[in-house]
Amino acid sequence: MIDAPGPWGTGPFTLSEGYSSLYNEVAIIGADPLNCVWLDTREDRTDKVVLTANTDHWNKERGPRLERVVFLNDIPPAEALDLVCTTEGQIDIVTEVSPADAEKVENSEYAKLVIMDSMRVLVGIINRGAEDAPLNDVRARKALNMAVDRARLVSEGFNGYAHESAGVIPQYAAGYPQDIEPYPHDPEEAKRLLQEAGWPEGRALKLATLTATEGIAEILADQLRQSLGMDVDVIVVPDEDVLAAQHALVEKVMPLPFDVLLFNWIDLSSDAPPAFMHGYLYGAGGAFRAGPPVEEFDALMDQFAKEIDAGRQTELSTRIDQFVYDEALSVFLVAPKALYAVNRNVDFVAHATTLELAETEVTEDHWSRRNGA
Amino acid sequence: MAQATRQGATESGQYTPVGTIHVVDPNPLNWLFITWNTMEEPVRTDAEGHLVGAAMEDSRWVDETTFEVTLRQGIQFQDGEELNARSFERAFVEVQQWKAPHPPGTSLNFHPDTRLEIVDDYTVRMIFPEPDGTVLGKFRGFHLASTRFWDEIGFGYRKLGTGEGHW
Repeated sequence: MIDAPGPWGTGPFTLSEGYSSLYNEVAIIGADPLNCVWLDTREDRTDKVVLTANTDHWNKERGPRLERVVFLNDIPPAEALDLVCTTEGQIDIVTEVSPADAEKVENSEYAKLVIMDSMRVLVGIINRGAEDAPLNDVRARKALNMAVDRARLVSEGFNGYAHESAGVIPQYAAGYPQDIEPYPHDPEEAKRLLQEAGWPEGRALKLATLTATEGIAEILADQLRQSLGMDVDVIVVPDEDVLAAQHALVEKVMPLPFDVLLFNWIDLSSDAPPAFMHGYLYGAGGAFRAGPPVEEFDALMDQFAKEIDAGRQTELSTRIDQFVYDEALSVFLVAPKALYAVNRNVDFVAHATTLELAETEVTEDHWSRRNGA
Repeated sequence: MAQATRQGATESGQYTPVGTIHVVDPNPLNWLFITWNTMEEPVRTDAEGHLVGAAMEDSRWVDETTFEVTLRQGIQFQDGEELNARSFERAFVEVQQWKAPHPPGTSLNFHPDTRLEIVDDYTVRMIFPEPDGTVLGKFRGFHLASTRFWDEIGFGYRKLGTGEGHW
């Protein structure tokens, strides 16, 4: 992260005012060799961050096509959404629009909704190490997957702005196994599998969530209750306790207080998902693994990490995703779409894994061109 | 709209930057997006998220543990310094001095015993102690910065006294 403006890079824009930075603290998974992740503790952004076109950029076919990009960090997102929908000349792009707000954008005279298939997944991390529930038994994990009505989750939880997941890899990314379908919604089979696995009579399922996904958790909990005929306790982690909960999940020293944790994760490219997704979620050194290491999975990941042929590595991605699907290592839920509210005179080029604006441009009717800004 | 937007381009298809936009981005990765808009790495991602060359024009495995990177010629830092093999080497030296420089953690590290050889002004070879099939993905976090950047601020160096967790 860059702490001060300056001509530091070769990118399409120069950071000419302000900065956007991050404070974090370490969470150690293993000491020898060191294996750790950093947990965000605080963002540090100036109220305004200004990017100015680098007119000497080498890739003129890409851009930059804008003279200036101004990130306004002192405007709350909800206010920004109102402004982009009801005015012109104040806000041009708002990222991370909630599906619940999509209709407001679509009905706006000033803004349009830009929808992007992104490298984002929402899964239920299954605590295979739970002491009093048979979650280390694949039958119980399959039962949870078959208790979910993903189509309803997409329509009720995301207003349609998500894809149903089969495994971890979204259908538009490299390595997606073409032959698999999302687990069917089959409550009867789910009940049978859960009984076979020996789920204790009267034992409620503990479903944990952050506040941001509480609504989704409630929908999911209702589905699990209806499909499995069991009690489901939704545990909402208060915002002030998130850091401690993250330490507990990553460091794996204390028993985890959940059976399933609703969890958003991302990837930084679409080309080799196991490196950033599966490895973090299930690997022996994975920050988000909950439960004992899975020997066969780790052997596949070792092959993947050492494979220098791109084609063979993609084949391994497919095998890895098929493996985690077959073993039902998570409750596979959805791949949410990224939603943006964009001024109608901005031709915004969304990206699946980033917010880069080199290819974005404005029409002649845009306020900044009319005003000569 | 497309017709109107093309009016910002020259006849050769190259763009003359025009206009200003105001963005509100609550994404907690905003710090990274600012970096990616202003710095470059050997690779970037296209709109669909697939890796494409950025500062790196080409690459190949010479053998199972030697990865050769050919840098694009004619790239300048925004302060006028040329980007070349020495820029790659400087970034490599800087990143390798920290135990866990990247916020996502040590999984983005190059092996600590990785060596770098400069072949010529635009070609470098990374010699890994074992094959690293994830090197292109790791390049996404391998920011190439100007000499002034490293000397004057670094990734958290001046503000926090360390680059741990701040690349």
